[in-house]
This record gives sequence, structure tokens and C-alpha cells, in this order.
Amino acid sequence: MNKFKTLALVLFNSAALLATSCTKENDATSEPVKATTLSVNTVIDLDGSKGAVYYSLSTNKQVLGDDITAGKWDIQFSDRNIFVNGGTSGIGATQAQIVNSIFNDVNTAPTTGYKTDAIGVNAILSNDWSIYTNTNSVPNHAVLMVPGKIIVVKTSYGKYAKLEMKSYYKGNPDITTPAFADLTTRPASSYFTFRFAYQADGSTTL
Amino acid sequence: MKYIFVCLLANINLSAQAQQVDTLSADTTKAKKLKEVVVTATRTARNLMQLPLPVTTISNKEIKNRGMVRLNEILNEQTGLSVLPDAHGQGIQIQGFSPDYTMIMLDGMPLIGRSTGILDLSRITTNNIDKIEIVKGPVSSLYGSEAMAGVINIILATPQLGGSGSIAARYGTNKNADISLNGGYATDKLSLYGFVNRYSSGGYSLVPQSGSATVSPFVGYTLNGRVGYKFSDATNFKVQVRNYTNTADNNFLVDNDRITGDGTEKDLNMSAGLTHKFSDKFTGDARLYHAGYSTKSLLINNTDGSVYDQTFFDQNFNRAELQGDYKIINSLRFTGGVGGQTESVVATRYNDKKNFQSGYAYGQADWTPFKRLNIITGGRFDTHSVYRSQFSPKLAASYQLSEKFVILASTGKGYKAPDFRQLYLNFTNAVVGYSVFGTEEAVFELKKLQDAGQIQSILIDPATLRTLNAESSTAYNFGYRYRPINGLMWTVNMFRNNIRYLIDSEPIAIKTNGQSVFSYLNLQNVYTQGAETDVTYNFSKHWTVAGGMQFLQAYDQSVLDKIKEGQVFGNHQASRETVKVTKSQYGGLLNRSKYMGNARIAYQDDKTGIITSLRAIYRGRYGFSDVDGNGIVNRDDEYVKGYVLFNASVSKMFLKNQLRLQVTGENLGNYKNHGAISNLPGTLVYAGITYNFNKP
Repeated sequence: MNKFKTLALVLFNSAALLATSCTKENDATSEPVKATTLSVNTVIDLDGSKGAVYYSLSTNKQVLGDDITAGKWDIQFSDRNIFVNGGTSGIGATQAQIVNSIFNDVNTAPTTGYKTDAIGVNAILSNDWSIYTNTNSVPNHAVLMVPGKIIVVKTSYGKYAKLEMKSYYKGNPDITTPAFADLTTRPASSYFTFRFAYQADGSTTL
Repeated sequence: MKYIFVCLLANINLSAQAQQVDTLSADTTKAKKLKEVVVTATRTARNLMQLPLPVTTISNKEIKNRGMVRLNEILNEQTGLSVLPDAHGQGIQIQGFSPDYTMIMLDGMPLIGRSTGILDLSRITTNNIDKIEIVKGPVSSLYGSEAMAGVINIILATPQLGGSGSIAARYGTNKNADISLNGGYATDKLSLYGFVNRYSSGGYSLVPQSGSATVSPFVGYTLNGRVGYKFSDATNFKVQVRNYTNTADNNFLVDNDRITGDGTEKDLNMSAGLTHKFSDKFTGDARLYHAGYSTKSLLINNTDGSVYDQTFFDQNFNRAELQGDYKIINSLRFTGGVGGQTESVVATRYNDKKNFQSGYAYGQADWTPFKRLNIITGGRFDTHSVYRSQFSPKLAASYQLSEKFVILASTGKGYKAPDFRQLYLNFTNAVVGYSVFGTEEAVFELKKLQDAGQIQSILIDPATLRTLNAESSTAYNFGYRYRPINGLMWTVNMFRNNIRYLIDSEPIAIKTNGQSVFSYLNLQNVYTQGAETDVTYNFSKHWTVAGGMQFLQAYDQSVLDKIKEGQVFGNHQASRETVKVTKSQYGGLLNRSKYMGNARIAYQDDKTGIITSLRAIYRGRYGFSDVDGNGIVNRDDEYVKGYVLFNASVSKMFLKNQLRLQVTGENLGNYKNHGAISNLPGTLVYAGITYNFNKP
């Protein structure tokens, strides 16, 4: 009788062990972050609510008026679309690609893999960096960022920059709140918040 | 309805003298449990204790003692089972599998009618049943597709000799009403049985200020009739019909427009079976089965009288089956069968009538080489008109270390066929503008969109989607049944399910409006593993204490692989910066609680006729949604917090156990979570009355 009790316990304990042992994997967090020497610029609430907005990464300024037609911009925001100054979108030769990583880990720009905008296939697709939530989601009908999508830009002058989109709504709001979920209290859309680092020396170091 | 009820009560022949056995005394229960017989696990009657598969049974008596009337209520109190709230109904989760993967059967025949894979358990009344048998782990070796996580078989009650009948009613919170009428008559040869049930609710809203109901008011009727005839000691004939209809009265607000209209649901099952004992060694069965399931809804926008939504769904299922059971020698028994099926569906979201044909053969050997060892092995071969043929083998063994301790081990394959939706759906969301096409339609429909200039880019060539594989699993179960002393039963089962070819939807093209076109692909390899344990202890004649728990892990293998490569990212809750997700942060598949448990204390006194029990059901926290856009659960705010439900019931028996008065309380702690849990409307209190009679 005792024999069976012990066996039962052993079996049950081994069951518990078997089940829990599989959870014990190394919890190593991401490798130490290398400090970037470049300054990181954060652009807050670039107002695209009245139409497309153009931005120059080299001057860290919005591009307006005649400078747009003169091609003095690198990147354009229009609703959920991001265009680069090249191909079907501009007179420049700007190219871009998405790198799956986190901002601080992209220390070197890739040398290949860039694309410029073409009909139907832009360098950066809206679904690459954002999702539009459906009717049944909470929050619904919202444009949310996809984490880990770093946009690496090669400008018309062959300079590299990395850019991370942070928000599509005015004030970079917390998207998990009931106020955001409620369409009547949700902040205005097409206000772009992003951060970027621009390498002026022409190297791939970011 | 109240008046009808009173009239019915008055009409019952109160002079019926014989005592209906509603409750068995504690001693007989124990004796019965020792020799409890289960049919679902092997398609033959088998003693439970030595059966090499994890099986749970729930008796009608236990369901009644807990004051329950629908299948979802009783299953939610079982160890390792979780009834999931969903807009498409309340489905069951077994061993971490979604509701799609559990077959629900009525006397061994599958119920059909699923909405996005969910068979709504509240459709099924428990008032006309004898017991419920639950087999965990794949039983595709006997039942084919869908029996991948397990099988729940509802065994219908057979009438006792003589005339018998009962009336049962339960009424309470939210105007929930359930009324049943049973009548039976049986002689040595003939048995007749009739059953009517009306189940209705006033519905409820978890967010009353929204102006929309969480559950709309509805009325459901179940009719069931059965005839059995014994031509001789060797030959039996049985036929049964069950019909369920439900009408929901929808009423909700969309952008300040009031939408109203009825939704109806019909579920019909008919079966006939002939059993003949050719000799002491050989028994044959022939069975015919038809099932039909249909829904219809018409929703009107009251602002302008326009049609808001109109849908119908009509599914038919037919089966013919032969089974033979041959006892070669006493210790070796062979069971085998062949069958053919046809299935069809016509629905709003399908282009035309869709048909499936399938055939199958199964065989099983049940061998007891010596008294302590039992081996069951077998397999089933399914051939199908649309997807690839499947072979599902099974091997199970139990070893009796003593009369009190049995070790069980089993392994087997399970599968689930792609359903009509995954093959044939043709749906475009009118509001948002995305489209979903079944794999058989994707080529044609995508071409149509392309020709119309609606496609911006193609992500996956639909020509490569053509052959959808059945989802399949390989399962391992290992555990024991241990009865150290009379009245104490302890079971343990560990499980691991490796699931391949899980079907999921994936964008295959981007439309010019920026929305995606989805189709179905064999995408993921996932696994579920864990352990469950159950303890029941009956003591001092009156008391039962019981408890159980399940530990569960369910992961998507491809996500684990990507985490290893450092390619899964999330958004940090506090800093809102992108971070890498580590394995310990990955919460696994949605809706799976790592820990679930239950505890029960019950008291029964046959002298005073008091039967009472208090139950606590714990559901640990589970992943609910993706907040940070990476498609997986990794942040604390992506979980639903764990909770405990307290349910209690008190009965008092009168008139030699013929009359029962009962009060039942569900969710006494009034737990609610309106954002995440739609099937918990808060505390529910019911009053019930049951009257039985039987005249031999």
C-alpha cells in the first residue's frame, strides 16, 4: 500500500517537474546596447492632418512650399503612407527599407536591400510599420505601430538614417486607455511622432 | 408560461406510488463507481478503472444536484475544461485546444453546426440525459476528424420499466427559464420516450448604457423522441429524433441607428440503429444518421428601414455505418467498422452549394494478455473528396499495479479536416473593406479583384495555396488512477500534443484601399502540454470533498523560434519604446490559462432529504489580446486577470424523493469583466422544482 502511495507521489512530482522544466529557459534579455554617437532627434506631432507633410532628415526640419517641388525633402507622410523622395514619388534618388530590429540595435545601415517608390509597391508599405485595427478590435479602426520595424533611409546624397515611427495620433497618446478606444475622445490622427538618427559623414554607422 | 406550468403540475398523476430513484444512497453510488462502465473511449462497454485512456464521467444525478440545465454550465465546473466566451457561442477548451478540435456527440453520433469552429454548448439541454462521458486526448482512431483534443459524448437516458415521467422547471435572474417534460413507457420489448424542453432568457447587457445587449433575449425548444424495440434477446432496434430551435430577438445600436431583427437556429438529429448478436462472440451494429443545422437572420436598420444584414447558413450531414464486435477469446476482442458520409452546405458567404463525400474504416484490438495488463490498439483510415486521406493510429495500455492503482499510457494521432469556411468562404467586409477567401476560391476571386483593378500587390500566389492539409496532432498521455481507500479517488494525467499544419488566415494580397485579402494556410506548428490532477473523497456517508487543477502551456513553435533569433519585438508598457521580447515574456496562445482549478464540498443526507454543495472554479490569467502590435501576448496589459467563481446549490427532497425543491446560485461573488468575458452576467440565482413519478 505504502509502495503505491510513494509511487503515486513520485509520478505526480515527475509530472510537475516535466511540465515546469520546460519553462526554465534562459531569460537572457537583449544584448548590451552599444551607445550610438549620433544624436537622436525626436519629431513630435508633425501635422499631416491637412495633407501630406514633407521632412528633411539632414536639416531636421519640415520642408514647405517651393522646397517641396525642388526636391529638398527626404521623406513624406500622407495618411498611413510613407513616401521617399525618389521613383514615382519625387525627383530625388532616396531609397529605404525596413529592418526588423530595435532602434538602438541598428548600428550599421545595410549596404543592400534598398528600394525606391514604384507604382503599387512603395519602398515602405503602410502595412510594414502600422496596422489598421478592425471593427471588433479594441481599440477599433485605429492605426497602431508595429514594433520592431526600423526604417533605414539612404538619401539622394547617399547618406544613411534610421527612423522609428512612434505614433499616428496627436500627443503620442497611450493607445491602451478607454479614452483612446472611444472614437469620440481619441486624439486627432495624421499627427506623426517619430525618432531618427542621421549620419552626415556618409558612412553606414548609425 | 407560468400558467401552463401550473396546469401541467396539477395534471400529473399524484397517486403514483413507486419511488423514483432521483438520488442513490451513498453506498450504492460507491458500489456503482467501482464498476462504472464507459462506452466512448473504445466504442464498446468498458470498465472505467482499467481503461487505458483519460476519461471523466458526469452523472445525471450530479448535474441535477448542482441545479444545472445546460451543457456549458456543467462542463465549466470540470477539471481541465474551460468554457470560452465568444460572440459565436460558448465552446469548450480541452488540453489547450480551441473548441474546433473537440467532437461533441449525442449517443455516439456527432453534432454539427459550428460558427467559426465553435459548437455552442448552451444548445444542449442536460435534462434528458443519463450521463456525459469525456475522453481527453485524440480519439480520431475511432471517430475521425474533429476528435483531436477529445470527445464529449452525451448519453441519453433510457426509460425505466413501466410508465415514468418528470417535470422540471428552473427560473431566475435575467428571466432565465428552463422547463422540461419527460415521459417514458417501457416493457420488456418496447420502450418509448418523449421529451420537451423550453429554454429562454431575457438576455442581459454588461454595458447597459451602450443600448445594446451582450446576449439578446431568446427562446429555445428541444424536442426529443425515442423508440426502442427488442425483437428478441439477440436483436434490438432503436430510433431517435432530436430537434432544437432557437430564436433570438436582436436589438442593438450601430452609430445611433437602432438595428433589430430575429436570428433563428435549427439543429436536427435523427438516428436509427439495429444491433444483432449473431453469437456469444460476435455482435453487429448498423446505424444511419442524419443531422441538419441551419441559421437565418434578418437585421433591419430602423432609422431608414433598410436591410442591415441578411444571412443564412444551411448544413446537412448523412452517415451510414456498420460495426462488428468479435470476441476471439475472452482476453482478445476486435472491433471494426466501415462507414460513408455526405456533407453539404449552402450559405450567404459561399458561392454555391458545396459538397463533401467521405468514407472510412476503423479497427481496434482490445487485448488483456494477462489480468493486470490491458492493451488497446487500432486505427482509422479516412478518405475524402477534397483534402488528403488521413490515417489515425492509436496505442494505449494500462497496467494494474494493484486493484487500487492503475497506470495508463497512450499515444495517438488526431486530425481535423479543413472546414467549409477554410475551403469556400467568399466574404468581403462592407465597412472596413477587407476580404477573406477560402483556399478553393482564392485563385478565382483574387483574379476577379485583379481584373477590377482592386489589387495593389500580391503577397502570396494563391496558386500555391491549393491543397490545404488537414491539421493533425500527435499526442502522448500518461497518468494513473489511484484508489488508496474506499471513497478516495485520485487521478493524474500528463499530456503533450504536437500539432502540425494548424490552419490560420494570412494576408495574401493588398487591395488598393490599403486593406488585405486573406486566405487560409497551413501555417503554424504549435504544442500544448501540461498536467492535470483530480481528487475526490467521500466520507462519513454524507460528505464529499473534491478538487482538481490543470497546468497548461500552449506555444506557437514559430514564435519561439523567432524569439530565439531575436526577431520578436514589443512595445514597453511604461517607456513605450520598442523592445525585444524574451521567451519568458511570451504568453503563448490566446485564451489559455496556465493554471485552472476547482474545489467542491458536497453534503447529502438521505434521511432529511437535504443535498447541498458549494463549488469554487478558478481560471488563472490568460492572454486576451495583442496591444503592442506584434501579434502575440507579451505584456501584462494583454492578459485577462484570473478570477474565481463560486457556485452553490441546495436541494430538499420530499415525497420519498419524488419532489425536489432547489435553490441554485451561480457566480455568488458577482464577478464581471465586461471588456473581456461576455458569458458572466454577474450573480445568477435560480429556484427549481422537479417532480418524478414512475409506475412499474
